[in-house]
Amino acid sequence: MTKKFAGLTAVNDMSFEIHRGEFVGLIGPNGAGKTTIFNLISGLEKPSSGSIRFDGRDITGMRTHKIVNLGLVRTFQLVRSFKFMTLLDNINVSCLSTRGKKIAKDYGIDEYSSTILASVGLIDKARLPPVILPHGDLRKLQIGKALGTNPQLLLLDEPFSGLSHEEAVAITDLIKSLHSDGVTVFVTGHVLRELMGLVPRVIAMHQGKFIADGPPKEVANNKIVLEAYLGKGDVFAGN
Amino acid sequence: MKINYNFSDFKIYFRDWIRTFRAKLTIVCLIGLILIPLTGNSYIIGIFNTFMIFTIFAASWDFLAGFVGQVSFGHAIFLGIAGYATAFTIKFLNFPWWLSLILGAVIAVLFGLIIGVPALRLKGPYLALGTLAMSLILYQVFLMNTLGNLWENTFPGTKLFGANGIGQIPPISQIPGISYIVIFLIMCISLIVLTHIGKSKLGTIFKSIRDDETGAKASGINTTKYKILAFMISGFFAGIAGGLYTIRLTGVNPGSFQALYSFYAIIMASIGGLATISGSALGAFFFVFLGEILRLLGDNPSISEFFGGFTEPIFIFSIILIIIIRFAEHGLLKPVLEHLQDIWDLLLGR
Repeated sequence: MTKKFAGLTAVNDMSFEIHRGEFVGLIGPNGAGKTTIFNLISGLEKPSSGSIRFDGRDITGMRTHKIVNLGLVRTFQLVRSFKFMTLLDNINVSCLSTRGKKIAKDYGIDEYSSTILASVGLIDKARLPPVILPHGDLRKLQIGKALGTNPQLLLLDEPFSGLSHEEAVAITDLIKSLHSDGVTVFVTGHVLRELMGLVPRVIAMHQGKFIADGPPKEVANNKIVLEAYLGKGDVFAGN
Repeated sequence: MKINYNFSDFKIYFRDWIRTFRAKLTIVCLIGLILIPLTGNSYIIGIFNTFMIFTIFAASWDFLAGFVGQVSFGHAIFLGIAGYATAFTIKFLNFPWWLSLILGAVIAVLFGLIIGVPALRLKGPYLALGTLAMSLILYQVFLMNTLGNLWENTFPGTKLFGANGIGQIPPISQIPGISYIVIFLIMCISLIVLTHIGKSKLGTIFKSIRDDETGAKASGINTTKYKILAFMISGFFAGIAGGLYTIRLTGVNPGSFQALYSFYAIIMASIGGLATISGSALGAFFFVFLGEILRLLGDNPSISEFFGGFTEPIFIFSIILIIIIRFAEHGLLKPVLEHLQDIWDLLLGR
């Protein structure tokens, strides 16, 4: 699995690879271009140059729903939901996509969605609309919606932002169990601490540029990364 | 795309439905509607025909706006184009009425495709403007007498374009009661089908596009395909309404393309409430009968002299629309049902 792109001002000459079954974090301060990278990969925006490859296939400039149906699914930093539909129907939509239907139809769409709702811990709220849910539940719903399409590579955009400690722990457990089920996970975050304990490999970026790639400890002690986060100076190094 | 249909599900659904207050009220209303032809009064039968045709038309708009979130201000396109197709095939090709009706609806579906494809690039207010502009273009095209003369010279003995339109279309049946029952059945089937689509898995997909189009794409839904499909479904039923309306008025003219008719659909659907389908029936009832009363008032010289132009239906309905948007944005169907149920419970002493 290879993804490459180059030459967009928001994302400048970034190039990296994620292998099947990996669990990778993408860190960078606010405005580093993390979400833009996700938009490029998921087909919501087209790269000005460069290419994106998934599973040996060129997906550059492909339409979003086609990319999703290949198994490359994303969630959003700002939670999106189908506001006036029940949680069950929210999940049903992804189970009705071409890729989701292949699995879901053997179980029945509603039944399959219920299983997903149960696995993200929202089954007791299946008949409620998302508008009345707390933020933590909406994050879970986002992951549930992504699961409906049976993802192979899951892109999670800031899954922890705006969550309380308990909620963040629940999401962390959920993501870990997904990864152990064989889903490749690529997760962003601008707070290092949350990601550091979670992922074995981190890619760091700043102002659209690649700055480091490696195990969290190495990256955390990387001088350029520290400068990106804390400004220049060696005072905090070795923290 | 496959729509699974399981009849035993339907039986369970029907059994649950029949127990609700809403179901009883619906059945009472339907029985009442069936009995109308027994009055033998052709004026009343005629008004009820218009009401049922407008119900289908408003429901087709409500489906597109309420379930799929695509607000069209050019729904008159379907009404007009299907009206012309029906009139033309009945009058000049001697088709039976039902074949013409289906043909008109199919042509409206094709127009749904033609409008749907460019409309996909337009969102929100721009879609409304785009569809409005298309209906104005068609209005002008069908109004052109030069085009009419050209058509008559190319295909002698037939008429299509021109200000006069096509007239003298025979009714469905010489007996008004039979025409009435036919329209009644078509209305029932249309409402049932549209409601059923709304509740099906296809409806779930449509509603996801309404609520969050980018989210639907990110869930792997081909929104382009489903939006075109929605335009075609809506066009089909609006086309059926257009054909029936043409037969009911015994003719069609370019006026059918006027933005006014699109506006009528919006008023009727909004009175009933968006995404309710059956609310369109309430809206159309209100609209047609109040419109008729206003027209009668306007015809009375002493009243029209006193009120001037204020009995003009579109004037009154625009005010009603503003009031409804302000005070009952979800339409009248739900509050009306709730109040009727309260009264019913009171009568039964519950």
